[in-house]
Amino acid sequence: MSAPGTVKLTIDGVPVEVPKGTGLVEAAMAGGIEIPVFCYEPRLGAPVGACRMCLCEIEGGPPKPQAACTLTAQDGMVVKTAATSAQAAEAQNATLEFILVNHPLDCPVCDKGGECPLQDLTFRYGPGSTRMTFQKRTFDKPIPISPLIALDRERCILCYRCTRFSEGVAEDGQLVAENRGSQTTIATFEDEPYRAPFSGNVIELCPVGALTSTKYRFEARPWEIQDVPTVCGMCPVGCNIHATTREGKVKRILSRNHHEVDRGWLCDKGRFAYSHVNAGDRLTDPLLRVRRHGFEEVSWDDALDAAERMLREAEGRIVTALSGSETVEQAYALAKLLRTGLGSHAAVMPEESSDALDSFRLPLSAIETADVVVVLGDVPVVERAPIVELWIKEARRNGARVLHELDENAVRQARSAILIWSGPDGQGGARVAALAQRLGAAGAFHLPETANGRGVADAWAAAADEEPANPDPIALLIVSGDEAAANPDVRALAERAERVIAISMFQGLAAGWADLVLPGTSYLERDGTYVNLEGRIQRLRRTTIPPAPDELAWISKLAERFGVDLSPHAAAVFAEVSEIAFGGMPFGEIGERAALPGATDAPASFETGPAPERPATGLRLIRYRPLFSGPAVERIPELQFQRPHAEVDLSMEDAASRGIASGDEVTVRSNGTSISLRARLARDLQPGVVRIPDEHAGELRSLVEVAR
Amino acid sequence: MAAELQKIVLAGADDRDLTRLAEYEAIGGYRALQKARALAPSAVIDELNASELRGRGGAFFATGRKWSFVPKPDQNPNPHYLVVNADESEPGSFKDNEIMARVPHRFLEGCLITAHAVESKSVFIYIRGEYTGPYEVLVAALEELHARPDLRGEVTIVLHRGAGAYICGEETALLESLEGKRGQPRTKPPFPAIQGLYASPTVVNNVETLATVPPIVELGGAEYAKLGVENSRGTRVVSISGHVANGGNYEIPNGMSLRGLIYDLGGGIPNGRELKAVIPGGSSTAILRGDEIDVGYDFDSLLGLNTAMGSAGVVAIDDRCCMVQLGIRVSEFYEHESCGKCTPCREGTRWMTQILRRLEAGEAIQGELDLLLDVCDRINGKCLCPLGETAAVAVASYVDKFRPEFQRHVDEGGCPFGDSSPLDHVMAPVAQHTHSPTATVPA
Amino acid sequence: MSARSLRDEIQEVAAQYPQSRSAMLPALRLAQEGHGGWLPPEAFREVGEALGLTPAYCKSVASFYDMFHLKPVGRHLVEVCTNVSCALVGAQQVLEGFQRELGVGAGETTEDGEVTLRTIECLGGCGWATIVAIDEHYRTHVSPDDVPGIVQELRRGS
Ligand SMILES: Cc1cc2nc3c(=O)[nH]c(=O)nc-3n(C[C@H](O)[C@H](O)[C@H](O)COP(=O)(O)O)c2cc1C
Ligand code: SF4
Ligand code: FES
Repeated sequence: MSAPGTVKLTIDGVPVEVPKGTGLVEAAMAGGIEIPVFCYEPRLGAPVGACRMCLCEIEGGPPKPQAACTLTAQDGMVVKTAATSAQAAEAQNATLEFILVNHPLDCPVCDKGGECPLQDLTFRYGPGSTRMTFQKRTFDKPIPISPLIALDRERCILCYRCTRFSEGVAEDGQLVAENRGSQTTIATFEDEPYRAPFSGNVIELCPVGALTSTKYRFEARPWEIQDVPTVCGMCPVGCNIHATTREGKVKRILSRNHHEVDRGWLCDKGRFAYSHVNAGDRLTDPLLRVRRHGFEEVSWDDALDAAERMLREAEGRIVTALSGSETVEQAYALAKLLRTGLGSHAAVMPEESSDALDSFRLPLSAIETADVVVVLGDVPVVERAPIVELWIKEARRNGARVLHELDENAVRQARSAILIWSGPDGQGGARVAALAQRLGAAGAFHLPETANGRGVADAWAAAADEEPANPDPIALLIVSGDEAAANPDVRALAERAERVIAISMFQGLAAGWADLVLPGTSYLERDGTYVNLEGRIQRLRRTTIPPAPDELAWISKLAERFGVDLSPHAAAVFAEVSEIAFGGMPFGEIGERAALPGATDAPASFETGPAPERPATGLRLIRYRPLFSGPAVERIPELQFQRPHAEVDLSMEDAASRGIASGDEVTVRSNGTSISLRARLARDLQPGVVRIPDEHAGELRSLVEVAR
Repeated sequence: MAAELQKIVLAGADDRDLTRLAEYEAIGGYRALQKARALAPSAVIDELNASELRGRGGAFFATGRKWSFVPKPDQNPNPHYLVVNADESEPGSFKDNEIMARVPHRFLEGCLITAHAVESKSVFIYIRGEYTGPYEVLVAALEELHARPDLRGEVTIVLHRGAGAYICGEETALLESLEGKRGQPRTKPPFPAIQGLYASPTVVNNVETLATVPPIVELGGAEYAKLGVENSRGTRVVSISGHVANGGNYEIPNGMSLRGLIYDLGGGIPNGRELKAVIPGGSSTAILRGDEIDVGYDFDSLLGLNTAMGSAGVVAIDDRCCMVQLGIRVSEFYEHESCGKCTPCREGTRWMTQILRRLEAGEAIQGELDLLLDVCDRINGKCLCPLGETAAVAVASYVDKFRPEFQRHVDEGGCPFGDSSPLDHVMAPVAQHTHSPTATVPA
Repeated sequence: MSARSLRDEIQEVAAQYPQSRSAMLPALRLAQEGHGGWLPPEAFREVGEALGLTPAYCKSVASFYDMFHLKPVGRHLVEVCTNVSCALVGAQQVLEGFQRELGVGAGETTEDGEVTLRTIECLGGCGWATIVAIDEHYRTHVSPDDVPGIVQELRRGS
């Protein structure tokens, strides 16, 4: 008899014991036995049994071979795969023959070749030759279904993975099957582009070369590439990724399924924006202002001399503006130099989260099993932390109530309620934590604007604990990274500062107003750690050599000149921070799939300022930084079609009261300026709030009126 | 056994216009409903079990048993549904067409009794989109019923029109279609009785099955079971077509001889031609040679000849007809109607057609005749639903029963019938599939 | 038909079902009637809008079924069943009759846009072959000799 909660079965004579409800494919895997599949992909929902690759013989079952992917392991079941059953072997061989009857077999020129399940399974289970002597089904080769994805309908084996993803996971309903029978094809509506934030996942889901990346097309063969495991630095989720490199260059990004964080999905920004590292306007040498308006490239020695001079002359009257994209180690290095070395504690920090969240810490995957999910903060989740949107959708499909307005009773009565803050107002994190504590929610998340905001704050704090005295006048402003450089408040400080040192990846961003510009690096070029929105410390690995020494290298050199002892190696720096901030966890123990530290005990209580109240008259404008924006995205031609339309989001109520319908042209006014945009009705918006992507909000103030 | 009609489903329709409620009531219509409602649901199911009625849609499943699988409301609180399969699309079958057109109220009464038996308040009739005539009759009949709460009770009946897809006759594809999706079959289990429409308990029954329910309740199951033969009780409305003098529907007691059906009722083969072959139960069933018709028209007897009653569509084929051409036409049909979900059916039916066309053109080599059988064999038993399987079985049976004729196409490098066969160069829809995105029409 | 009134009609039909998506086929039928017998791209936008689904989804469903036309059709639709039972008794000759009378091939529409001719799978009238559906109403026992008359009727009727 099998232990409670488990079942015992026999597969190819091998006894296997697995938990009740385990699928047969997984059960076989547990016994080290392969049941080949194409259409089967548990992340896409219930099995469909379409491709028939998994046909196996079930002893004592029906006389015909059964689709193993549709069966769950039963006690006493006796399963025979192709390895031990002539019937199963014949069935799988037949399936492959049918799949290949109309497949072009153009493997030599197919990007999938060498890493193609169809190739591999044919090699293992398929016929060695073809008996098909007729003209194959032909379609125009490959058609773009978006600037990012090419579809070759001849290669498609109609496993319906891509369409099931579009309908059942991303819920964008854009990639569909058209026509019937042998005429069936995958298609978008009237050849409109597949424009959705998660479209790229279908490339990885496709088991053949039918859906391929236009950016990766003909770029490399599988035996020429290396996959470097690291994490995405484009948003605070920190999806686990593989950076595929060829000859030291990043050629594509693949998911590296962390089942608690991303479940193997990526957004199109994380997947496709990698080529910003090769942008034409990438800074490779330091720039020093020589005349009023002139810059010239200088050597690193001269640059560091200049930096040293400015730091000394500032006599501590220094402000540091951080981006939240620095690694923990970089941020700590800057902090140690400036705070312990020069006693300059003043800083402009990235949007803050709250340590109070640590008491309500859960893996993102916990959202999936929540029965109530409350999303507050007025900025679409997908724009700040895209993958969280997929977890919320999964929760809704599992029957959870997803609310965009706080319903205290719903939260109190919930079996497992999760609160999420997605929006401006630095206190959002503290706010949801306070709510979670008061209402007894299971978990609380804050979706910060930056990828490593939490890590940077921890690192900065770890270096010293003196209270910052805001210097006036500011002798020197240090702008670390392009997000800080793009921040209007930082620009304002730069106006007042006597001198500015900027660390920037791209020309033009800071060059205009800085006195010294030092080349920055990308998350793909760094070693170190990021802390994601869960509070998970994850490892960043260098996937490609940066065109200039990375920040840690030259900060440590600069530190030397001030007698501050700072290692140029991430591991050593992390060890130092970890002692203070991360309970001494060693660098080496972070691992490829980082674990989540346990939740801390709930703090006694903590107050938060009053929530921003709704204006009596007019509408409160929420400007947000869209997912598809920022310095990296701006440099990827293939991503431009994903940029947000010139639209204003209105709540149903506000639209109705103004007689505005979806798609209407409307003018948005705030004292002085007025902009005309297309209206879009958003179910998730509260009355009294409107939403516009930064790049379309122009000079609008926080209080606006909207009219047709 | 001499060929005699026995009207139970179609009873009374020759003398009166039973499309009208008053007329139907005048001959005792809807009394079975009152009788059934006076019984507990389980008692009605017992009657059905006693009648040994088996589904008339083709799968031949015991109706009473199917109903008994439906969980009781206390076991599953979801609404229970009765979905009527009125998608009749099997080539050779047109019985449901006539039943709905001539005895709509008997059919609707059957729906109401069944709804009572499976404790359902909601009935959906999925009628094939092309059936405009029967649809209009049912609309009128439902209006009459609507004015009669005493008959309707709390049951709502919705007429849902299909849109042209044979596969939607398969019960799970039908449910998908009824849910507003592409009509592609689901994997079973779960079976509809447990998780059907909107994942709720659902009974799917054929029109004739349901139209047989009132007579059963009226006569009593045991009485009904006296008709017909072992394993095939009661009557069957048989559709006779093809090379017969009097094509049409004939209601007969199960077990009557196939010869009687064709010669006595169908009036024999016209123009003094010879009977060459018979498709006994719609194009999905294996073919019989003309000399194999001295067999009872019932489940067991036909099984003995490795074929089936299917949906009771008897197609007579005379000696002018080329069996390779028949194969092409039938294969084209299944290729066109394959839903495209599972590989063997989608790719296999297309391949079958291609090989058969080459045989007919006289361009095939010996190996390709064997290849055809092998392809059929490789489709068979591998598909998600029976569509592909039946296509393979049917075509394989043509080769099996008429091997010499297929052989001649190879040996003589062409069709021995020249262009004298009525199936010569028949233009099938698949050859001008309107939605087709392909540059090339199937070769 | 204006999109608005179509929208109302669709939502009326949808109310009959526990889930509005079930109204997809009836909705597409209505849209097709409203758009002169076929479904142009805007029809899918309208149906999608009314049922809360994407146009891509609606077209995906429509393209599965033979009775929905994704290309323009004539004012009249002539559909000749050429499945086995009808073919056995001369459906091909009936089809050829229509091709001759109308001067178009199967799957084509007459120049004046009056009539679309196509073959169709078994219509479920096999015993009364040959079956021809004229604007979705059956004619039974059609023989080649009947064809000229039927075509005249159509031409006169329109
Ligand atoms: C390809 C295919 C087509 C079918 N077409 C029909 C049909 O047109 N009408 C029908 O009643 N059953 C049809 N069936 C059988 C149904 O799946 C189902 O068994 C039947 O409707 C059950 O009703 P019954 O038990 O009353 O016969 C078809 C099955 C298959 C596999
Ligand atoms: S494109 Fe790829 S994923 Fe989509 S159905 Fe075809 S084979 Fe499957
Ligand atoms: S993997 Fe089982 S049918 Fe596709």
